[in-house]
Amino acid sequence: MLFYLFGAAAVAASLMVIGQRNPMYSVLFLIASFAALAGLYVLLDAPFVAVIQIIIYAGAIMVLFLFVVMLLNAPQEDISRVRVMVAPSTRRIGALLVVVLLAELAWALATAGEREVWVSAEGLPEGESSVRALGLTLFRDYAFAFEVTSVLILVAMLGAVVLAKREL
Amino acid sequence: MIPTFIAQIVLLLFVFHMLLIAAAAMVYAERKVAAMIQQRLGPYLVGPRGLMQPFADVIKLMFKEQLRPLGADRFLFMLAPVLSAVTAFAAFAVVPFGAETTLFGLLEEPMRLQVADINVGVLVIFAIASMGVYGIVLAGWSSNSKYSLLGALRSSSQMISYELSYGLALASVLLVGGSLSLTEIVDQQAGTWWGFLPRWLVVLQPLGFLIYMIAGIAETNRAPFDFPEAEQELVAGYHTEYSSMSFAMFFLAEYINMVTVSAVAVNLFLGGWHGPFLPEAFGWIWFLIKVSVLLFVYIWIRWTLPRYRYDQLMAFGWKVLLPLSVLNLIVTAAGVIYFAV
Repeated sequence: MLFYLFGAAAVAASLMVIGQRNPMYSVLFLIASFAALAGLYVLLDAPFVAVIQIIIYAGAIMVLFLFVVMLLNAPQEDISRVRVMVAPSTRRIGALLVVVLLAELAWALATAGEREVWVSAEGLPEGESSVRALGLTLFRDYAFAFEVTSVLILVAMLGAVVLAKREL
Repeated sequence: MIPTFIAQIVLLLFVFHMLLIAAAAMVYAERKVAAMIQQRLGPYLVGPRGLMQPFADVIKLMFKEQLRPLGADRFLFMLAPVLSAVTAFAAFAVVPFGAETTLFGLLEEPMRLQVADINVGVLVIFAIASMGVYGIVLAGWSSNSKYSLLGALRSSSQMISYELSYGLALASVLLVGGSLSLTEIVDQQAGTWWGFLPRWLVVLQPLGFLIYMIAGIAETNRAPFDFPEAEQELVAGYHTEYSSMSFAMFFLAEYINMVTVSAVAVNLFLGGWHGPFLPEAFGWIWFLIKVSVLLFVYIWIRWTLPRYRYDQLMAFGWKVLLPLSVLNLIVTAAGVIYFAV
């Protein structure tokens, strides 16, 4: 029951994100969508992931998005009356992507029953918190991938600084 | 005998109203303490010793006209103060303020004095606090006024900068506490070391406590970090265009946020409701005393220190507070591993 509520909210908010003319509202609906996703995580017995989702995506990253929208003062897209002209090649690529995405979705739904569940909360010993389990998995089994990711982010950060400040 | 379900709802309403009253009391305390510091009398006409002053203020605000600037985004302009107030109230939901109690045998089974016991409580407070930024940003943007926009930008960049140190201070105390649940951390702080020193985590984390309090002041936009409301530069910052009850909601949110930050500090660093002389059932008295002391310090600081300059604030946040809190986290982690606490 709750799953359908959160799921519907997430899908509706995501649709509103692309349906808005005002970029400010798009950002806000994206936040609403993230909040609904956090609700889904809680239903999956992963409160830690849910809270992290709110802190990092809804709390930190979306504030930056909001800043960018506010500071660029993006004009309200008053092109609703004008039919947007799109090149035929762009349309063809778009159509191709839609077909690929739909096929992928259909395949995923069709084979959903056959796949095994990778992680479940039942496997945890009594009293073991999901935070601890997550930490152990992340820093023991996937330590290399974790560290490589952090180096990747560092490189991206340095690149941004160099690009922004050419006369260092 | 009252079933637990009804008791929970009563507790919910009780906490809600206590927060409202706490905000009113803070307004009164702020004006009285400010007056004392400046050798004035402060409010004294409304009620005995001016005690009714906050209520008079609220009534005045209620009867004021609700103004909305031309060109303001109507929906977001109304949403922003509500968002601020809601997040302020919601954050307190996971704060425990007393031991398990049956209210002198009134209840069937003991109940925690806490609206929601979530095992990642500390993170929930952090998450909700980070949502509170949106109230301010949206208020500044939707007002369609340059002062509001500048105030909102300052306020949110300040909150984002200090949130890092705030989070790292929380992380180091959580390392020592070994849990993300506020109740468990408080329960660890019962009793004393060597018979006289209370087992409060502030003893193990003095630097963490200091960083937490400084970042907490910045998070709640209080002086000396009250740039969003720097009158000389920005009129009143993000709430310049607000009047009547929507203005009151911003004020309410600010004071409730102060109460929440102090209450969390008491739970994490000062032993929560544990203290000498009083039996466990009356622990909430200790809790009230500790929170009141911290709130007094808040007011004291506001009326003693002048406001920083904006670049000083940013430099202090990024170049002093953040490295210190990282250092604190590393030393704490090393200590936890070495002593295997």
